[in-house]
Amino acid sequence: MALLQLEKERLVWRARQLTGPDHRRQSSFYPTLDAHLQGGWPQTGLVELACGPAGIGELRLLFPLLAQAQSRLQVWINPPAELNGQALAQHGIDLSQTLLIRCQNPQQALWSAEQSLNSGCCSHLILWAPGLTAPQAKRLQVSAKGNQALMFWLHPQAEPSTSALPISARLSLAPLATGLRLQIHKYQGQWPQNSCQVDMHELWPSLAIPTHLPTHHGPAPSSTIAALPFKPR
Amino acid sequence: MQWLYLYFPNLQLDSLLHQQAYNQACVLVDKNEVVQTNSEARQLGIKIGTGLGQAALLSAQLKVIAYEPKQEQRLLAQLAQRLYQTSATLYLDPPQGLLLQTSDMLRLYEGLAPYWQQLQQPLMERGLHYHYASAHSPLAAQVLARAGNDRLLTNQGEATGLLHQLPIHSAGLNYKLSLQLERLGLNTLGQAQALPRSALGQRLGQTLVTYLQQLEDSSAPNRPTYRPPEHFRQRLELLYEIEHSTALRFPLKRLLSDLEAFLAPRQLHAAGLILGLEYREHTSERVYIGCSDGEYRAESWLGLSMLRLEQLKLQAPIIAISLKTKGQIPWAPLSAQLFEPLGGKLTAGQLISRLQNKLGDHAVQQVYLRDDHRPERSFYQGVPQSHYQAHQATTYLRPSLLFTLPQALNHKPDQQWCILSGPERIQSGWWDNVSICRDYFIARNPTGQVCWLFRTPREEWFLHGYFS
Repeated sequence: MALLQLEKERLVWRARQLTGPDHRRQSSFYPTLDAHLQGGWPQTGLVELACGPAGIGELRLLFPLLAQAQSRLQVWINPPAELNGQALAQHGIDLSQTLLIRCQNPQQALWSAEQSLNSGCCSHLILWAPGLTAPQAKRLQVSAKGNQALMFWLHPQAEPSTSALPISARLSLAPLATGLRLQIHKYQGQWPQNSCQVDMHELWPSLAIPTHLPTHHGPAPSSTIAALPFKPR
Repeated sequence: MQWLYLYFPNLQLDSLLHQQAYNQACVLVDKNEVVQTNSEARQLGIKIGTGLGQAALLSAQLKVIAYEPKQEQRLLAQLAQRLYQTSATLYLDPPQGLLLQTSDMLRLYEGLAPYWQQLQQPLMERGLHYHYASAHSPLAAQVLARAGNDRLLTNQGEATGLLHQLPIHSAGLNYKLSLQLERLGLNTLGQAQALPRSALGQRLGQTLVTYLQQLEDSSAPNRPTYRPPEHFRQRLELLYEIEHSTALRFPLKRLLSDLEAFLAPRQLHAAGLILGLEYREHTSERVYIGCSDGEYRAESWLGLSMLRLEQLKLQAPIIAISLKTKGQIPWAPLSAQLFEPLGGKLTAGQLISRLQNKLGDHAVQQVYLRDDHRPERSFYQGVPQSHYQAHQATTYLRPSLLFTLPQALNHKPDQQWCILSGPERIQSGWWDNVSICRDYFIARNPTGQVCWLFRTPREEWFLHGYFS
């Protein structure tokens, strides 16, 4: 392969090139995050998200992306609680393309993930698993890359796995009053970045802490009907 | 009309031995008498008609299997089903013969030789021993084939010549009649045919006259032609007992390739298969293997079946397996992939079937919505369906992760918590005894989780989900 070709594929890159947006990224629909990640999420590959405790907004980070691309299946494996269909539909996710898999043991979960990726009919895969070894991560990364799929691996640790896993990106999330703070530990094809703040206030105004209100317990003045973040499709 | 007769003297034994390479002497026994032998047994001097005791003396390792006329009939029907693809007009002649009308097929195959080549192929695949003959009448073909003639004759003169030379004792007449003829000094069929029919009828009975007439009668036999079954159903006896489910792979592969040969020409797909496992102690088990999109290829079915069988613990050694289709659907070509650059290896339905067969039907689900204000009843998880019924979602903001059972909070939210919205009262279900009355709040706890809490009229607090 010619060097030019390698450069075009960004398998080899020059330091001075890495300023503009990368055409092989897909927008996360969060402008600050897109700017920080030079275009957004990778098109394919495995992304590790160290979320800490469930419920800080880790899925809200992904919903705009998932609502956008729905020509193929979106597979959810072992979510920590029931996936609320009402919420998914509200966020614009096509439930007819959503597949939920529950596995008894971690081996089966990994098997299901690999089968789903290798089938070629799955565009996004979200897996909750406590840990991956380097060979497992490598296999999933190769499967995702080879089948044009983007896989998110979510786990409840606050810090990403220490070992250098052969995957596309490693991020850790922390809650903020209006959204999330993302620490980018690794992102293939660019320099290591410092942390970035993702503002979810615009999409979910009713879930952000209002700045004018003191944070104490008390009846909120807002109406009982919460605002919709997205128009249903 | 031209007829071809195929005679399978070793049908049951050949079919049994074909599955596994078995190189020991083996015989089929009916009423203490050997009826079918393999080549190893013949080398030891065991012949058809040898008593079981004598055969056992000739070889200590002799494998003896009971002859089952019913099983042989099934095998003959299976064979007819396969040959029906080559030849249109077939007659079963149980237990071991097939009669084929060739004259109509010769125009299609442009001659006897190509036609015969097509016919031979499935016979070779099954490792069957056979004798054959073609002649101008069904009976003549049968007699010549059973005599081991093995020649394809196109003109009537040649066949008649061969029949004339045929010894009386191998002409397929009953023992008494052929003995009577031989005592009259008639040693070949030709000699009997040369005598006046009326005189023969008077002395030896009408049976012989009818027989001689049928030898020359080229019209079709007076019974229905073979009609292939509409649904696939096949049974396979195993030569060995199988104790591990993974060892079922090889016999199953054979059944599945027959299934493929059954479905492909009909342009059908099977939506599911029922695999019957027959245990040694006369119990049996049925295993369902599903494929929602339908499939006909043996290879894909084998993969799906093995996923299901790996999970299975056999109760006892298996002596036979059977396979039938459950739901045959017309083949529908996949057309959506034409402009998709990312041509998938599997369709969604195939992926779901594969996952279901490995993990169980309830591990793979889709989420469906329902009109109910009670949060835990406003959606449900069910088996994926190809036609998804879209449903309008509620307009109230709902958490993406919901607990099936709300978790009790030890004490009510204190100053550390931040109530973001609420209360939203949900009071519903008084009509079906699952009545709820809850005031829901969206609140952020000290760790930063956005929780969905509710308060009951008795001032108990519960955590019901996360706005993940």
